[in-house]
Amino acid sequence: MKKYYYIIILIIMAILVISSINLEYGHPENLDFVNYYFEHGIQDTGAINLVASVYLDYRAYDTLMETIILFMAVIAVLFFLGKGE
Amino acid sequence: MKNSQIIRTIARKLFPFILLFGFYLTLHGHLSPGGGFQGGVVIGTGIILLGLAYGVRETEQRFKEKYLGILEKLAILSFIFLGLLGIFFGYSFLKNFLPLGQKGCLASAGFMIPLNLVISTKVAAGVTGIFYTLIKYRGEI
Amino acid sequence: MNPINISLIIFVIGLYGVIVKNNLIKKVIGLAIVNASVVLFFVAIGYREGGLAPILTEEVRASSSAILVNPLPQALMLTAIVVSISLTAVALAIVIKIYEKYKTLDVEKLSKE
Repeated sequence: MKKYYYIIILIIMAILVISSINLEYGHPENLDFVNYYFEHGIQDTGAINLVASVYLDYRAYDTLMETIILFMAVIAVLFFLGKGE
Repeated sequence: MKNSQIIRTIARKLFPFILLFGFYLTLHGHLSPGGGFQGGVVIGTGIILLGLAYGVRETEQRFKEKYLGILEKLAILSFIFLGLLGIFFGYSFLKNFLPLGQKGCLASAGFMIPLNLVISTKVAAGVTGIFYTLIKYRGEI
Repeated sequence: MNPINISLIIFVIGLYGVIVKNNLIKKVIGLAIVNASVVLFFVAIGYREGGLAPILTEEVRASSSAILVNPLPQALMLTAIVVSISLTAVALAIVIKIYEKYKTLDVEKLSKE
């Protein structure tokens, strides 16, 4: 039974590696959306870190939901492992 | 189970520098790679290092779990409050309405410094709370 | 051998750990490896040839022909890392409760209960 699992995993690995040979590594095709962040990022937000300006100013709503995910994780762990002693 | 004297001494001497590095990563989040999440994880790791060297019972007497819970809930409520400040001043939710300042200075990008501080306290309290709950559990094992 | 090919190999290594191993904790470790490989794949997609980090220091602002790496996948992967942390924490809490009730962590013995 274990040999079938090994063969399936080898087939999946071969398919993935062969189909990713044609992906171009250093030359993405169109950068129309990203050129906006390069040109107007520093005068809209005032921060020189472009990654921080993306996740704290242009998409701050996703960061709010992000902290709620961590809050839910703490609640879930406290639910399973409540008062032990 | 007591640890050796070397581990206890080095953990106690290294803890202020780890806290300082965590605050540096948090406050310079808009000038160099870093930010709220990274600084919060570093601060939480410092407290976990003390917990591993001295035992969880002694570490919990200094960093109590009740205060960690209160800090965590206050951090989320102040994130939402900072978003509602934008509505009170006439703009949209979570808009950057403080003055922007000079490029490259520490006091620039008006809204990112309070957001970074709030996120780092939330992540540090969350990671430490998960660590306490996973170790203090004494069921029927 | 790009980082894209290496990230797919790491993905298959993690998938091997989830499928083949019999211990429950080894399965949870395999899940964390799969999450790490997805983060590497997304960050490797946004690379431009000869690019610098997306931070506009004074030298980058002065020179007019500096190529910067794409900053958008890096900002999305911060969320993915936090999801990976919370998933591992809750999975380990469930494994503790399973061991407390059944006194074993072997998947083949648990499937006969």
